[in-house]
Amino acid sequence: MIDRISGIALNTFRESIRDKVLVTLIVFAVVVMGSSRVIQPLALGEEAKIIKDIGLSAITLFCVLISILVGGRIVYREVEKRTIYIMLAKPVRRWEFIVGKYLGLMTVLVVSLVVMTAAFYVILLVLGVGAPLYLLLAVLMTLFELAILTAVAVLFSSFSTPITGAVFTFAVYFVGHMSRDLKLLAAISPSPVVKAVSYFSYYVLPNLANFNIRPEVVYGVPLGPSALLLPGLYALVYTATVLLISTAIFNRREF
Amino acid sequence: MSSLPEPVVSVTRLSKVYHSGFRMKRIRALEDISLEVEKGEIFGFLGPNGAGKTTLIKILMGLTEPTSGTAQVFGRPPRDAKAKARLGFLPESPYFYDHLTAREFLGLAAKLSGVQKSEAAGRVTGQLRLLRMENAADVQMRGFSRGMLQRMGIAQALVADPELVVLDEPMGGLDPIGRKEFRDIIVDLRDRGKTVFFSTHILSDVEMICDRVGIVIAGRMVEVGRLREILTGDVESIEVTVRGVTGKTQKILERVSQHSLKSGDELLLTVRSEEEVDRIMAISREVGGIRVVGIVPHRRTLEDFFMAHVAKAGGTRD
Repeated sequence: MIDRISGIALNTFRESIRDKVLVTLIVFAVVVMGSSRVIQPLALGEEAKIIKDIGLSAITLFCVLISILVGGRIVYREVEKRTIYIMLAKPVRRWEFIVGKYLGLMTVLVVSLVVMTAAFYVILLVLGVGAPLYLLLAVLMTLFELAILTAVAVLFSSFSTPITGAVFTFAVYFVGHMSRDLKLLAAISPSPVVKAVSYFSYYVLPNLANFNIRPEVVYGVPLGPSALLLPGLYALVYTATVLLISTAIFNRREF
Repeated sequence: MSSLPEPVVSVTRLSKVYHSGFRMKRIRALEDISLEVEKGEIFGFLGPNGAGKTTLIKILMGLTEPTSGTAQVFGRPPRDAKAKARLGFLPESPYFYDHLTAREFLGLAAKLSGVQKSEAAGRVTGQLRLLRMENAADVQMRGFSRGMLQRMGIAQALVADPELVVLDEPMGGLDPIGRKEFRDIIVDLRDRGKTVFFSTHILSDVEMICDRVGIVIAGRMVEVGRLREILTGDVESIEVTVRGVTGKTQKILERVSQHSLKSGDELLLTVRSEEEVDRIMAISREVGGIRVVGIVPHRRTLEDFFMAHVAKAGGTRD
């Protein structure tokens, strides 16, 4: 089982890492981080914080793009190119296939995160604005967020086309960052329909705003262990649930 | 015919209905198909394009579920990993991962098929050598030609040395040399005691190498059996060539034959029986100026058989 899952994961990793989309996105992220220097005249003495904030935001944004763009077609492409026939005719269980694809993509994201973060720290050192290690906490939270988002991308990819999948995954990302507003909307809206939809979205869609600790780390606000542990646990449970649903859907599919 | 207690592939009264399009139109891909493939034989699954061959193979590979009936591979349901561990599958026009090299891909195939780590590298190299792909071993597969992809396809199917090899249109798109290579591979597999199940719409492939065939037309199995039982040695028709035929004698002769073709002063007559040949001979003796210059008996070929069934089933597909 481990062999088969790791085989599929390694294959997914190799395919993605040799794909131009990934390299382009990573290069672009580094360019954006480097160009944060340009806004220095506008920063009025807050440049160090702005450079860090832009850098961390760029890492998150581009990893989210990788997750949505690569993840959105990860299963679909196997079906479209009919490589799935070869994979599923081997003694591979369908859930192993989904988990393998997911872990392969997560490996891609971890590598991307590491490369971007390394570039980020190099830029911080070159610009001489200080490179404290606690900024890494924000990167770790981005990883948790990506774990959920990638599972959602794999879920959509297991039954829809890449464009539909990408649009829906992006919608989940977008709404997931407005969870608090949704709850508020549900509380104050007079319309029962709006109430129902808002509550449903609030409870079913992932609460991704919890993973954004960039303001805290940039401004040096101290964070307790629960600020990391709870989101980590949440990400684990949410991811496992979404992968379980993906497997259930994929199990019923005919090719 | 050696009959074993458990057939390698067993399909019983299998039907498959697809629902397609916006109005969910019912498409009957397979209807009441039954067949058994025994250990150590080459079974040819023959039918025109769109007859349902790939659908049956997909069911046997656990990719699609039948609407009714059962399919078993090594006595297990097709989705069972224990059944899949004993077979190798080459899909129709296989396509692989563009960015993987041939060696990486075969390594993956070996790993997924449960080949021991210590053996995997040797197996991969062995397959590459067998299929003369050593020079391309470390090249990404996106630049591979049709023939190379087909060879990679058979390599990944055989890398774990399976007992059953299922090939969907293995000769499709290959040149004559490639086809010969594939026939040799299939026959070699049988010689090593493997069971081969392959689909094709090309009759000569089947005539040359199959032990038994199943003929499927418009989703129905019209015949299953040994080739020589299907193609009995009986003479199907006799072609008689008569020279010196004029308009008047042509009419007399055509009354005897099923079919005729005039070319110059020669008339080619097709008849069913030897008695009819005798009658033509008699006419030629009675009428002056014509003589029989050729008599060619035609035995039934697989093509005749196939065409006859296609004609019978013509227009019945829905």
